[in-house]
Amino acid sequence: MIELNGITKVYRTGSQSLEALRGISLKIRKGEFISIMGPSGSGKSTLMNIIGCLDTPTAGEYVLDSDNVAGLTFDQLAAARNRKLGFVFQNFNLLPYATAWENVELPMLFDGKSGRKRRERVTELLNAVGLYDWRDHRPSELSGGQQQRIALARALANNPPILLADEPTGNLDSRSGEEILAILTDLWKEGKTIVMVTHNDRIATRSERIVRLFDGQVI
Amino acid sequence: MNLTLPRFFWSEYRKRRKKASLITFALFWGTLSILLLMAFGQGLTTQFSISFSGLGETLIMVYGGQTSLEFEGLPKGRQISLYPEDVDYLKERIPEIMRIAPESYSTLQVSANGKEVNRTVHGTTAEFGVMRTQIPQLGGRFINADDVAAGRKVAFIGWKVAADLFGGEDAVGKPTVINRIPFTVIGVLKKKIQDSMYQGPDADQIYLPFYAYRQIDNRRRLNQIHIQPYDAEQSKLIESRIRTLLGRKYRFNPDDRYAMSFWNTIENNKEGMAVFKGIRIFLGIIGALTLLIGAVGVTNLMYAVAKERTKEIGIKLAIGARRRVIVEQFFLETFFVFAKGTFWGFITAFNIVHLIRLAPINYDSFGIEAYLLRPEFSLQIFIVYMAVLSILVFLSGIFPALRASRSNPIESLRYE
Repeated sequence: MIELNGITKVYRTGSQSLEALRGISLKIRKGEFISIMGPSGSGKSTLMNIIGCLDTPTAGEYVLDSDNVAGLTFDQLAAARNRKLGFVFQNFNLLPYATAWENVELPMLFDGKSGRKRRERVTELLNAVGLYDWRDHRPSELSGGQQQRIALARALANNPPILLADEPTGNLDSRSGEEILAILTDLWKEGKTIVMVTHNDRIATRSERIVRLFDGQVI
Repeated sequence: MNLTLPRFFWSEYRKRRKKASLITFALFWGTLSILLLMAFGQGLTTQFSISFSGLGETLIMVYGGQTSLEFEGLPKGRQISLYPEDVDYLKERIPEIMRIAPESYSTLQVSANGKEVNRTVHGTTAEFGVMRTQIPQLGGRFINADDVAAGRKVAFIGWKVAADLFGGEDAVGKPTVINRIPFTVIGVLKKKIQDSMYQGPDADQIYLPFYAYRQIDNRRRLNQIHIQPYDAEQSKLIESRIRTLLGRKYRFNPDDRYAMSFWNTIENNKEGMAVFKGIRIFLGIIGALTLLIGAVGVTNLMYAVAKERTKEIGIKLAIGARRRVIVEQFFLETFFVFAKGTFWGFITAFNIVHLIRLAPINYDSFGIEAYLLRPEFSLQIFIVYMAVLSILVFLSGIFPALRASRSNPIESLRYE
């Protein structure tokens, strides 16, 4: 499903360059739940961004669902993010002026789904995360845990096979964090591929496999 | 585009209402300026056109002259005159002529109703009436072909002549004496605006059937010949043919510009219209520049919006928005900002024009107010305005939209 071969990412600022990833090779099978761990600056988020098609590698090959990502255009990458990948960010990244309903609806709008399909799917997802009654509330009117559940519902809007979670419990209290982890675990059991970045060993133990990074390399 | 996106926009727009209000005012003012300036320019053109057509539409007047070149052994300085037979001579030989009429005139004593005045009296034919917009008031008529053929003693008089001689009474059917010969008034000229004339405005003139006039004034030569072409574009061709034909007949060099002269109202009108078109374009440009100030404000606003919403754009890109979606949304927002300001500008301009037209202004006068206070809208103004507006909406929206759509998702997500 996800295959990374010799991925390198170099950031250049003026005459200086920083090698964030150094020849990373990694295979993630369909339905796998993996955690990516490592200290700050080890390249976890950079790797996650490349897996999530938000960024492109400087060198190496990334094959997503048998497509070489290097050959995709900006809009093809956008389509991959929309249909194949669901994102859950540490700071939720919800649109502040949109309601819970509208935030969940947005990926389906970008995919051109009909109003009826959108209504059915948003209702289903908000019920699944237990926030249907909060559908007209804006993010600022919701708790951190509720916002992350809305973000999870949004990530699942187009029913992507892969879910990418970057420190999904990092900004939550332990109870809310546990709720999110429980949902992620359920999704994995239902067949989703989960890739989660964390530096919490206890949380990482919930996954099948742990990939540890240090200084831009898998150790 | 899905209508949910505009809904998102409105909630954002409300937050920037104060910032946007100045820009909205600039757009309002710009729209008001461009529409009013074009409407006043259009009114000026219309008034000029109406005034000019008072003399007649698509009219060429031919006059005799004095030769300035020697020709076939004949000396220069010879008088060239036009004669009644030249009318048929030209009509038969120039197929481009639709109407032609002779005209002779002189100032004569006219009396009626115990009053006596001196007025210019003209002898002409029925076709003159059509060419020179001699429209009679209700109950009257201009002289016709039978009047001319029979040399009837009938007269068509200007409305001022009627007022001078008959006061408020209906002049039609009343007797009048011209140079001691009795005539019957058959029609009075309807009031018209006329800013081009010879021998004074038509309101002060008296027209008689050509052969009846000849009984008063027995000079053979004509003062002028009036011609109306089938196609206004052929006026210069007709002029050239007249010079050639009459040059051959009266033995003068057709290139001798003093042997005969023309008053070509078609060419004059073209020149006048070109000047007014220039004025309209100039006024339109001033208006468009005013609107441009508003448009620059919109561009600045949209750049600010793009910067403010960097994070939002990053989120949208992260969850799968294509570039087109971002561009569309920015254009939609630009359009909304424009629509708000320009709508009220349009309504206000329309009402101002409407109010001015309700004012008691005498457009039939030669007063400056008849030219300056005659604003009017036309389809052309609307099309020009929409074209200018569309270009400005596009230019105001495209650069901020492209910048936003080319954002790097990662950098945008990190923006605080």
